[in-house]
Amino acid sequence: MAAASTSAVDPAKKMIMLTTSDNIDIKVEREVAERSILIKNLLEDLGSEGDEPIPIPNVNEAVMKKVLEWCEQHRKDPPATQDDDSDSRKKSTDIDEWDQKFMQVDQEMLFEIILAANYLDIKALLDVGCKTVANMIKGKSPDEIRKTFNIQNDFTPEEEDQIRRENEWAEDR
Amino acid sequence: MSTNGMPPVPQKDDVKATWNYLEAGVEKIMTNLRGGMDMKTYMGLYTAIHNFCTAQKAVGGGPGQGFASHQNRGGAHLLGEDLYQHLITYLQNHLESVQSRSKEHVDEALLTYYIKEWNRYTTAGQYNNHLFRYLNRHWVKREMDEGKKNIYDIYTLHLVRWKEDMFMGTQQSVMRSVLKLVEKQRNGETIEQSQIKSVVDSFVSLGLDESDSTKSTLDVYKEYFEKPFLTSTATYYENESRQFLAENSVVEYMKKAEARLDEEKERVPLYLLNEIMSPLMRTCEQALITNHSSVLREEFQSLLDQDKQDDLGRMYKLLARIPDGLDPLRTRFETHVRKAGLAAVEKVSSEGDNLEPKVYVEALLEVHTQYQDLVNKAFNGESEFVRSLDNACREFVNRNKICKSGSNKSPELLAKYTDTLLKKSTAKMTEEDDMEKLLTQIMTVFKYIEDKDVFQKFYSRMLAKRLVQTSSASDDAETSMISKLKEACGFEYTNKLQRMFQDMQISKDLNSSYKEWQQENLDADEIKSSVDASYHILGTGFWPLTPPTTPFAPPQTIVKTYERFAAFYNNKHQGRKLTWLWQLCKGEMKANYLRMPNSKASPTFQVSTYQLAILLLFNDSETVTYEDMAEGTKLAKETLDPSIGVFVKAKVVNVSPEGGKPEAGTSYTLNHGFKAKKLKINLNIGIKSEQKQEVEDTHKTIEEDRKLLMQSAIVRIMKSRKKMKHQQLVSETIQQIKNRFSPKVSDIKKCIDILLEKEYLERLEGDELGYLA
Repeated sequence: MAAASTSAVDPAKKMIMLTTSDNIDIKVEREVAERSILIKNLLEDLGSEGDEPIPIPNVNEAVMKKVLEWCEQHRKDPPATQDDDSDSRKKSTDIDEWDQKFMQVDQEMLFEIILAANYLDIKALLDVGCKTVANMIKGKSPDEIRKTFNIQNDFTPEEEDQIRRENEWAEDR
Repeated sequence: MSTNGMPPVPQKDDVKATWNYLEAGVEKIMTNLRGGMDMKTYMGLYTAIHNFCTAQKAVGGGPGQGFASHQNRGGAHLLGEDLYQHLITYLQNHLESVQSRSKEHVDEALLTYYIKEWNRYTTAGQYNNHLFRYLNRHWVKREMDEGKKNIYDIYTLHLVRWKEDMFMGTQQSVMRSVLKLVEKQRNGETIEQSQIKSVVDSFVSLGLDESDSTKSTLDVYKEYFEKPFLTSTATYYENESRQFLAENSVVEYMKKAEARLDEEKERVPLYLLNEIMSPLMRTCEQALITNHSSVLREEFQSLLDQDKQDDLGRMYKLLARIPDGLDPLRTRFETHVRKAGLAAVEKVSSEGDNLEPKVYVEALLEVHTQYQDLVNKAFNGESEFVRSLDNACREFVNRNKICKSGSNKSPELLAKYTDTLLKKSTAKMTEEDDMEKLLTQIMTVFKYIEDKDVFQKFYSRMLAKRLVQTSSASDDAETSMISKLKEACGFEYTNKLQRMFQDMQISKDLNSSYKEWQQENLDADEIKSSVDASYHILGTGFWPLTPPTTPFAPPQTIVKTYERFAAFYNNKHQGRKLTWLWQLCKGEMKANYLRMPNSKASPTFQVSTYQLAILLLFNDSETVTYEDMAEGTKLAKETLDPSIGVFVKAKVVNVSPEGGKPEAGTSYTLNHGFKAKKLKINLNIGIKSEQKQEVEDTHKTIEEDRKLLMQSAIVRIMKSRKKMKHQQLVSETIQQIKNRFSPKVSDIKKCIDILLEKEYLERLEGDELGYLA
């Protein structure tokens, strides 16, 4: 019924449909969805005339909703240019307040968001996710890190000793 | 899943299955884009690549464990090379068949085919670039960051393959078709220009910068498009121009060449790259102009002879386009103008000594005007042609048939012409604007005069005469002329002229204050008996005038008059010596013994002061002997005789014996039967021989002045330099003087010798001269 009026709608505000890996349809404004370069390219290449939902076979509903929440918040961000101060962005672990709050999720969700951002090609979100993980590592001893990420130590004591000696120069004392 | 003929979605670590799946998708994109792409397939392809690249050989636990299972101690190894290599092979095979099918087409059909295939392939390339974006972002990026050669992003890879597997094999036939098409257009047929434009765009796209794939170069376009395009252009126009010239005149050819050059220039924005403009123009100019420049130049003379401005302009424009194209024209032009000038002078010189200055100057001007007009209209007022014109004019103005007797003739005649213009008689007819125009014309000729000092001499003499005889037409015109000369030659050149002008103004004031003085200081009788007179006080140094050469006893009335004035003047300016220049004075006297026919009025004689003195003698006696005249006036014979002669000729006096010569024994009687035709009769007629004498005198003083000018220049130079080589001194002297006249080296040497003798200079060692203070 609403289809008749679609042509009059601002194309950025036009609603599109995404189908998640667990077969749930999510309606979202085109502009929000296009934070994902994958979706943006797809819509450009195939056109968005049809109301056919876009299948997203690698992301489930829960993660997708979380990702779209971020996209909604950042819908008006300027698009990142090819090598837009990539160095400075890599170096800084600063995360803006909203993003910090956004990333206060359990570890599993955090990794799912990172994987989804990588798959959907949302560079800024991928960066935020990686920075969050980096901040979790920062200032921790190897044992603490293992504990944080639930990693088993598979080094033999000899191997560990050797590694410590090799990296002695980098320790701050 | 595989609803539209796609193979099943592959396992993520299965290379073969993954590629099979991708190949089917790529094939669809390549061959059936319109029919076959849907969202499912699109996402399927992208996801397959993503999954393949993120698949780990050592598959650990499930996603629930997060990164815990991903332990790559040797650093991240990125997957994707297999897919990249498979894609290369696919593109190679695909393009091989595209290329082999191109052999079925020639000419325009081939172009259509090439463009269609190019468009299809590059569109598909864009698609693939998006689908393989995950590969671009990770594996390709890493490879490129590590500096691996021959790894490109997926779109660029498409271009690289096209260039290698399609372009190299077809570019020759494609270009052949393009060039055929262009030739058709040059022959006047209508062609599908957009085809060529598309080919150009395609060639440009293939110019990849090997060191940076995000940049492009024009290398491919230059090598495979521009080069053959220029070669065929050259051939085309070489043939056409040769053939055209064999069948048509040079004038027609120039029109053709001009049209062709315009056409080629217009061709560029239609379907070529702007970069080709200058090489294309150069190629056309070579074929159309440079190759035929000698033929063109040969036509120059006859166009000049026929004064074909349009064709000359066309030739100028054509030859101006090629390096050194105009130099030979300038030389010929200069020679031509010089000859024209000489011929014009030759024509008027038949009048001999009676040549009117006006006729001469106008002849010079006419030639100048004609060719200046040509330079402006046909040669675009180009400065080098202006220089050629100036050179030619300087030549024929200073060295022509009239000047054979001496280069002084031109400035003399020019000065005389100026004099006639500024004199009352002719000037009356001339409107102010016209006068200004005529004076400007004089300056045009003046600019070319080498002996500017000669002009100065004659001009100042004639100005003096105009001022003294109050025969100048307009003060404005005089001032305008002087300021023009000042502008051309500087303050020094016109200093005296200006002083002369000032003297006249001062004299005017002086006369009026003298009149007032007379009113106040003289009684009625004195005023009545005095002669009504006006005076010019002329500064000795500024006026080119000399005291009278003859003794003279002025009549008493005159003596009384001028003595009174002298007293007044000396009272005003003590210590100044007044010298009366009688030869320049004139007066009017009423012949009371005569009556005009049918009237009571008596005629008035306008006479020189000398004549006045002679005629006044007749107040005492009806008949005066020659001896009495000589005694009464004290005039020298050479002045007295011609003065009397005028009276005799005009029948103011009768001679006895009849036809008697002016000598002792001859007597003169007042002619009461004199028939006056006018109320005023001018008897103050200059005598021809006097004028000639004056000219000669002027020339003589010029020679003297030149010596002084050279000597003072030499002294000036030596004073500042102290020491100088002889040769150098000579050339610097020439430099200083040449805007006045062209000094001869031998004359300068003579002057140096004089200065050595006078011990202003001394000879030093070598060729050096020294200055002695």
